[in-house]
Amino acid sequence: MSGILLVEDDKDLREMLKASLIRRKYKVIEAENGKDAISHFKPLITDIIITDLIMPDEDGLKVIIKLKELKPTLKIIAISGGGKAGPGSYLNLAKALGADAIFSKPFSVIDLISKIEQLLLTEQPV
Amino acid sequence: MDKKFNFAGEKDYLKYLSHEKVISDEIINHSRSMISIINRDYIYEKVNATFCNAHHSHLEVIVGKSLVDIWGKEVFENEIKKNIDLCFSGKTIRYEACFKTPKLGIRYFDVIFRPLSIESGEITHLLVETFDINELKRSEQAVFEKEEELRKFETNLPIGYLRCDPNGKILLVNKAMLRIMECHDETSMVNVNLKCFYQEEGLFDMQMDQLIDNNTKSFGRVSLTNLKGKEIPCRISGFLAPGRKGKPSFIDFAVEDSTRELMLENRLLQSQKLQTIGALAGGIAHDFNNILATILGYSDMLLDDLPKGSALAKKVSKIKGAVIKANSITSQILTFSRQVEQEKIQVRVSEVLKETIGFVKSALPYNISIKSHISKKDTTVLADPTQLFRVFLNLMTNAIQSMEERGGILAVNMAVFDGKFIQHELNKDIVADEYVLLTFKDSGKGMDPSLIGRIFEPFFTTREVGKGTGLGLSVIHGIVTEMEGEILISSLPDKGSVFYIYLPVSKVYPEFNGNPEKKKKIIFITGNKYESRILSLALKNTGYELIYVSDRRNLIRVLGCISDCPELIIYMSDSKQIQPEDLVSIFKNLKIKIPCILITDTNQELLEEKILNSGIVKQQLIKPVSLKEIRNAIQISLK
Repeated sequence: MSGILLVEDDKDLREMLKASLIRRKYKVIEAENGKDAISHFKPLITDIIITDLIMPDEDGLKVIIKLKELKPTLKIIAISGGGKAGPGSYLNLAKALGADAIFSKPFSVIDLISKIEQLLLTEQPV
Repeated sequence: MDKKFNFAGEKDYLKYLSHEKVISDEIINHSRSMISIINRDYIYEKVNATFCNAHHSHLEVIVGKSLVDIWGKEVFENEIKKNIDLCFSGKTIRYEACFKTPKLGIRYFDVIFRPLSIESGEITHLLVETFDINELKRSEQAVFEKEEELRKFETNLPIGYLRCDPNGKILLVNKAMLRIMECHDETSMVNVNLKCFYQEEGLFDMQMDQLIDNNTKSFGRVSLTNLKGKEIPCRISGFLAPGRKGKPSFIDFAVEDSTRELMLENRLLQSQKLQTIGALAGGIAHDFNNILATILGYSDMLLDDLPKGSALAKKVSKIKGAVIKANSITSQILTFSRQVEQEKIQVRVSEVLKETIGFVKSALPYNISIKSHISKKDTTVLADPTQLFRVFLNLMTNAIQSMEERGGILAVNMAVFDGKFIQHELNKDIVADEYVLLTFKDSGKGMDPSLIGRIFEPFFTTREVGKGTGLGLSVIHGIVTEMEGEILISSLPDKGSVFYIYLPVSKVYPEFNGNPEKKKKIIFITGNKYESRILSLALKNTGYELIYVSDRRNLIRVLGCISDCPELIIYMSDSKQIQPEDLVSIFKNLKIKIPCILITDTNQELLEEKILNSGIVKQQLIKPVSLKEIRNAIQISLK
């Protein structure tokens, strides 16, 4: 069973995503900001991380950089609803930093899940 | 004086001289005038020291010489002789002479010829008094030149200048002032009271009172009405020239037209306002997207749980539909607040413009026509072609809507200007050497100038409530600003509106602009004309030429006709005219092997299989795809 680390500061959205992922039998670990995500990251049981980009206490870009260092094979999905601070180039930046997929809020959970499946399929055993 | 020199004859003359010789010699010799006595033979009989000095000569040399010897034949014949002859007839002659002498050059003289008569009344000699007025002339000339200079300065002064009498009656106006007042000659201003041009009653008198107290005063911005009835915002300063008895003799006014200054100030204020609104609205839209994502997610979950087609599932679908609508608003707000990513590439403005015009023309109401003038000097800008298309489409649609009732003409212009010119126009730092200026001019309803300042604010609309979201123009503003361009508008009620879009021209690097002959051909198969347009624009400057095909017959024709084979086929699975099996069979029949990129929607497994099994597909992309992804796929496929 694949483990997903879900980083999102909006509680409702996080719960919804968690519920959808659990339905698909994924194991979900939650974090409500980047700081928590980094400190609670368990490389052995986490295959994918879904992270929001703009959050209080360490933003998503930092999470991507840090966790990619800790586990290079980690699959990363970045989600964002348009940057609050300046032109929203965050998603592109996330992609440049190694995010495997990006989603603009609001997105279809069905699309998100099919992306997760696709990413897990392409995962190459090291 | 005359009496003293009215000598009775040779004898008496000499007698007189002997009486007062010393004194008169002194007077005559020290006179600043050249004094001489000449006889009827035009011979100098006596000259004073000044005369000798002026001629750089000596008494002995001059006395006994004729006037011809001293002045030259020409001057004597033309200038002197006639006056001497006239004087011998009894008249005192005084005139201003300008002699060109070989010795002294051009010199001005005040010349007086007085007849000297003997007792019988016969005039035997002339007393000639010549005063050198060269210095006087020169200073006169200098004063004249200075005056002329001053007048020139005053007329050409870029600032309006006028002089009034203490009651306000205009005495003088310069050219700049006439220009400000849009008046052809000064007659319509001179002798008119300056008060008449003031918009605000009583203001002029108040300013005059202030001037009398202060002598010099700047009055700040004052609204004048020019001769055409137009209101002109001006900066006025007054300078009071004190006259006798403490009363002012006249008042000078400097008048500066501050229309442009005011306009730039307003523009700055508006852009600051839009920026604030943008930041605020963008923040709200961001939070809203989180909420919408939550609603959408739970709706999906519900749809998953509920039996397909059930009444409950239908209701949930409605919720989903509403979320998608709401998202279209939040994404527009994010575009306005420039928080949406634009995929910028080199785009030929004229091509997008022509595409848009073509698109609009296909559904043009009968009473409206489009006139376009597109500069031959074509240029590229760095833009997201979809967004640029959106800008043009929105402006044209707006223009057409404003003319719907009465009909009219939509004039679309594209021209390229030097950056420096644009810098003056926009009064802001330029980011490119050249700018494209696009104008969209309609003859529709127009709007009140007071609304212009608000037109780009989100949710601001001049249309009835319920017609349009009021986001269109704010979205355009966001897109243009993101491109480092500028959008301006001028409008008059019932006359129409003009939108001006300034876009910085981007430099095209040679590798993008390669020989058109050598462009690699790509066939694009799709049923959606709109997408093909966008993609073709996206690829125009990348060295690929896109051939758009929508049906079987065309595909065969294109494949058969092209002398050098296309390098790539992009197949979009939405093309109903060409089914995947068609493509496979055409390939088989024509015996061609061209790599193919397949773009599909999700859940089209059946279709994918058919074509994937044929072995022609090199790459597959799933919608929605970004232009960048397509470009990458093309590059990989062609390797």
